[in-house]
Formats: sequence, C-alpha cells, structure tokens
Amino acid sequence: MSWRRERWSADHSLPIGVTKRAQVGELVRAGDIIAAGATLAGALRVSGARRLGLSPTDLERELRVRVGSDVVAGTVLARVGRRFPRSVTAPIDGRLLHVTVDGDLYIAPIVDRWTVRATLDGVVSRSDDAVVEIEGEAWCLRAAAAYGPDAVGELTLGVDGPDADLAPARIDVRLSGRIIVGGARVSAEVIPRAHACGVAGLVAGAVPPAGLRVVYGDAVTASGSPGRDDRPTVLCLMGFGSGALPQAVYEPFAALAGARATIHTASARLFVFSAASLDRPEVPPPDRVRKDDAPVATAPAERPEAEAEEGDVEEEEPASGR
Amino acid sequence: MTVSIGTEVPVERTSVALGRSLRVALLHGREEASRLAVLRVALASGAEIVARVRATEPRSFVEAAQALRDAKPDVVVIQGGTKDQGTLAELLEALRLGCGAQRPMPRVFALVDTGVAHALRPRADPFAFERFAAAPEMVEALRDLRRAANEDVVLRDVLIEDAARALATTNGTAALAVDVTERSTSLVLAHPEGRIEAAHRVPLGLGMGADHVVVRASLDNVRRWLPSPIDAPALLERVFNRPRRLVEGPPTSEPAVLLEMALAREAIAHALRDAADAALDVAAMRAAPSILVTGRVASFPRSGQSLLVLVDGLEPNAVTTVFREPDEGRAERIGMVVSVPGRRPAKIRIVRASGRSVARVAPGSFGLVEIGADVEVAVSGAGVRGHGRSGELGLLIDARGRPLSLPERDGERVPAVARWHTALHATGADGRSG
Repeated sequence: MSWRRERWSADHSLPIGVTKRAQVGELVRAGDIIAAGATLAGALRVSGARRLGLSPTDLERELRVRVGSDVVAGTVLARVGRRFPRSVTAPIDGRLLHVTVDGDLYIAPIVDRWTVRATLDGVVSRSDDAVVEIEGEAWCLRAAAAYGPDAVGELTLGVDGPDADLAPARIDVRLSGRIIVGGARVSAEVIPRAHACGVAGLVAGAVPPAGLRVVYGDAVTASGSPGRDDRPTVLCLMGFGSGALPQAVYEPFAALAGARATIHTASARLFVFSAASLDRPEVPPPDRVRKDDAPVATAPAERPEAEAEEGDVEEEEPASGR
Repeated sequence: MTVSIGTEVPVERTSVALGRSLRVALLHGREEASRLAVLRVALASGAEIVARVRATEPRSFVEAAQALRDAKPDVVVIQGGTKDQGTLAELLEALRLGCGAQRPMPRVFALVDTGVAHALRPRADPFAFERFAAAPEMVEALRDLRRAANEDVVLRDVLIEDAARALATTNGTAALAVDVTERSTSLVLAHPEGRIEAAHRVPLGLGMGADHVVVRASLDNVRRWLPSPIDAPALLERVFNRPRRLVEGPPTSEPAVLLEMALAREAIAHALRDAADAALDVAAMRAAPSILVTGRVASFPRSGQSLLVLVDGLEPNAVTTVFREPDEGRAERIGMVVSVPGRRPAKIRIVRASGRSVARVAPGSFGLVEIGADVEVAVSGAGVRGHGRSGELGLLIDARGRPLSLPERDGERVPAVARWHTALHATGADGRSG
C-alpha cells in the first residue's frame, strides 16, 4: 500500500436495464453520470416472430422499437403486412428488454431508475451493457477491502494524527458529501452516523469487523462487499481492528485534503485528483511484514529491519502498463 | 509439496497447485436428481459455486439475469431432462441477457442427452456450448480450465484423490482423505476397487477462506472450539486478518494454532454437510477404516492437534486408523480412533500381540489409551468392532456420543474443550509431535 500517481483504469459494472451510457473515447470527470437505466420488475414474454409469421432471424428487421427502449401499453413493437397487417404490441408500460432466440420479446415494467457515476477523471475505454471502463490519471491508494457503493466527494481529514481514532462526535452534517479520513480506526457507531449525516465515504487504517457486520450484515467477508444499495461506503486500508497509518500514507492525506476524491469499491481503491506532488519515498506497509493474524496496530517503524524486508506484495499495474 | 503414493513406499516430490479459481453457476431441472448431478460435478471439480438456479424457481426473468450477471461465472453447468427443456431454455435466455457482455464470456457445459442438447444449443448462442455424456468427463473439462492450459500443473485435489485411492488399495478397505488448505477443504472417499466420491469445497479454508468459514458456520460455532474464553469481536478481527497474512506455512504461536484448529473443525463439518447435500456417502466417510489427513491440518505442530480436529470435525463413528501427511513431510500413522456409541458404560476388549486388556468406558469420556507405538490392535465391545494400528499416539477412545454436542454455557463448555485438548496433548509447550 503506497501512494502512486499513475494512469489507472476502473470498471463500473452496470445493472440490467441500461438506457444510456458513455461511449468509448468520451471524456468524463469523476462524479459524472456515465450510465443510467431502469430497475425492472418481472418481465412478460410476448410472442413475436411466431405471431408475425416470421423466422426469428427476420424479426429484428421488422422491429419498430429498439431493444432497450421504453414503451407504453399498446405501442406497436413489430408489424408486417399492408392489406392484412399483423402486429405485436406492448401489453404493459415498461421496457423492451430482450429478444429471445425464438423471436419472442420480453417487456418488463419499470419500478425505479438508477445511475452510475464515474470514479476517475479520464476517457471511456470500454462501454457495453455490462461495464463502463474508464482510464485516467490520479493519485491512488490501494486498500485491503471496501464496502458499500462507489463514493465521490472532497477529501477531508477527520483526525489529528495517523494513530487517532475517528470519534463519532466529529461527524456532523457539515461533512455531508465528503470523504472523511478516519485515521487508525472507525468504529461501528461512526459508520451509520456518517451515512445519516450524508458523508460520502470513510477511509481508515482499519475497521472492526464486528462493526462491519452490524452495518452490512453477517455475510460480510474480509474481501469486501461492493454494492449499489444506499449504504455507507467504507475503505479499509490495512486490515481489520485498529491500524495506525504509516506516515508515508498519512502525510499525503494531509497534503491532498480538499481535493476531489473517489472510492472505487470493486477494486478497493481511493483515487484523488490533484496536481500536488508527494515527495516521499515509498515505505513498505505494516501488512507486508505482519507474521500472524494479530490486529494491524503496529507501525512499521517499531519492527526490526530484517523483518521489514520479508514478504512480498503483488503491486497492481497501472493502466498505462497494460 | 511432498506426497507419498502409499504408506510403505518412498515419497516423491511433486509440484502442486490449487489451480486458478473457477466460478461456476449451476442451472438444473426440477428433479432432485438433476440438482444432485450438477452439485456433485461442482464439488468434484473443485470449482467455486457462485449461483444456483433451479428451472422451476419462482424467480423472475430479470432477477435470474441479474443474479447471473452479478455472479460473473466462468462456466455455467446445466442439467435437466426433456421436461425441463423449456425452463432451461428460458434460463439460457436470462444468461444471454445477464452475461452477454461479460468478457471473457462464460462457457456452457451441459450434462444432458443429445436431444436436449440439440434444442438448447442455439439458445446458448453466443456462448460456447459443450455437451458431456457423463459427469466425469465434465469434471475433467472443468479441471482443465482450472489448470489454465498448463499441463505441468498438478491440481491439489487430483493428488488428494490419488492419495485416498492409494490408501484404499493398500489397506483393502475404504479410505477417506481430509485436506484443509488456505482456501479449500476436501473430503475424498476412496473404495478399494478405485471408485471415489469427492467434495472439494472452495472457498472454505484456514487463510483466504477463513472468513467464509465464519460466514457459513457462524462466529459462535468457531468460538465454541477454543479452550479459553475470547470475546467475539476480538476473534472476528483475528479471522478477518487471516486472508491478509503474507507469511506462508504452519502457524507458530499457540493461539494461532488453536484458532486454526477451531476453523478447521468447522471447515470439515461444513464440507461434510455439502457432501451430504450432494447425497455423497457421508455415512461411509464417517465409518472409513482408514483416514488420511493432509494440508494445514496435518501440519499442526502436534499429532494430537491433527487428530483432535479430525474427530471433532468429522465425527467418525467406527474404528479408524488415522494417518497424517504434512505438505513437507512423510505420511505417518498417528493413532487409532474408537468411537463408542450409546449412553451407558461399556467395556472394550483390546487385543494385541503382547496380550489383551479391557478398557472401561464411561459415557462422555475421551482419552488416549497408552498401548505402544504402532502396534496391531483389535477392539470389540458394545457396538464397536474393528482392528487397525495404534500409531504414535495410541488408541483414542471417544465416547462423547454422536452427534457431538458441546455445552451451551461457556462455564461448562470451555473446561470440557480444554479437557479434550489436554487429553490429546494438543496444548502445552513441548515438542513438535506427540
């Protein structure tokens, strides 16, 4: 775990029902909506090609509505013939979702809308119905695990030092929309309070897993739990329990405070968009030298040098290196 | 890893790996046989099950498609009869909607007859569709994917199966291999004629799979095996930090060993539960006359620790000779387990070359009988009959009953568990074995 300014890529998974999405080559900024769509309920299957007397492969040619479009009940979806026309109409308001191999059509009612926001400033490098991928340059800190949806906000220091815990009393609505750096630990009480106050996300050296279970449920694991629900976003930098941040990690937080930042939960990374330079040598993090499953509280400076050279962590390749 | 191919032959050195993680989604027909077929394939191939959908499940088309998209499967295994053709076709449409844009695309492996395959193949477009006539062929194909086209990789589960088969052939009886690693737990029952039943459960282990053990078993069920009190949040922290441990090899401190022992018991118990869910012969696994323990459980510093984890996790119910084979060592016979059923006091006659003796067994008792290292022993008594070799620890008489139940209250449970640890020399500060 160390700060690196590189060109990175970030995948943004899309739910089913995408309506529009950013196209390859498009320039986007972190926080921009890169895809929008509809949340769909149980779909109805409507006979298509058979009803029109077509082969399934010919149905597409006769479709009057593009797959993925919103329709209202009675909309003609496909039609053939002039003197004796035959047509397929939408039985309900909803979305023309899918055309089967048999030439049948699925129409699903729309129950909600969703949007997906970019977590990087950069260029769309892949865009399809499942994923929008963005490549861009940013300061990046790779964490151990992340929980909740992606978050976008202004980076704000919530503690006075790398070994301080974020007290619940320091969270209030003035921090709404920000990503708060919580030092060594954020407790279970802080997470829902921050969410209730509109805080975009929390970043800490470690998080007690019992607190994570309270917020995200008993099925939560150490590998993180990215999601799309309206839940708090927590980035756990070094492990679980309490973990004082190394100076090499904490000091850049102070230098970058106030900058725009995002948390990409699927890859457990913090991106910060700032032109500031962080002139510090990279220091191996404590989790590289930890020998047992003890909490991650000990700073690297307290460990023998010989131990500090042990272990090896696979460093992530930046996008430009691909 | 060093692996022996029998108990009496020299070891040979082999390069072994777990292979790449393979995510499979299971789509099956309405019949129970169909569910069992896909489940057995998944368990036998060592793949991670990321989604299960029954053809008649009351799940909407959109929900099924979203579940498959979120699962990001590498392979979709389908099984069903002619009656399921329509519903399986609809599930394949959900797959097309959910995973059509996934890169690389999932492959569809079908365990169906040719007629059903002919009907389903066009509906699987644009995914690669392969039909398999029998489950073993599909298991082999899935393993090939885990090898990632690297023929030099010897999959660990294949090796464990070979070891179980070799033990069964050597002893002429059914043999069970129990393997627990960082992220997998395997149970392989081998019969002397070469037939095997295997459940390789991923992710369920002591390192990367440790948090999954807690999710499945619950924290309290892991904690109940510890011989000293520990508060739940502290235990959870230790478990959650295990996947991030970067130093390989067996644990060194006693608390770490005790935690691994607790996790291993639950991992074995849950692998056994999955085997039962797939209708594998769990009764035969528990009654196997020979059991080989490998992986992390075999690498505990003391033999008694390996034996205790096995009897608590597996709950054998017959007379069993137990071997252990650490990843970097030779197989050794560590003890003979005599499980005494019933809730009344019993007598067990123990016959060996140097004479015979009688052991009086009280219900709930649990302890070793000093009988001399590695001697041929025959035992008989109320509901107990069998023979084997004692191994370095001797004879373990387990009269705690089946299923094994632990006291609910900490005040009763902790002393009981501590007593069991002491009985097998599983705690303390002396040497590596015994």
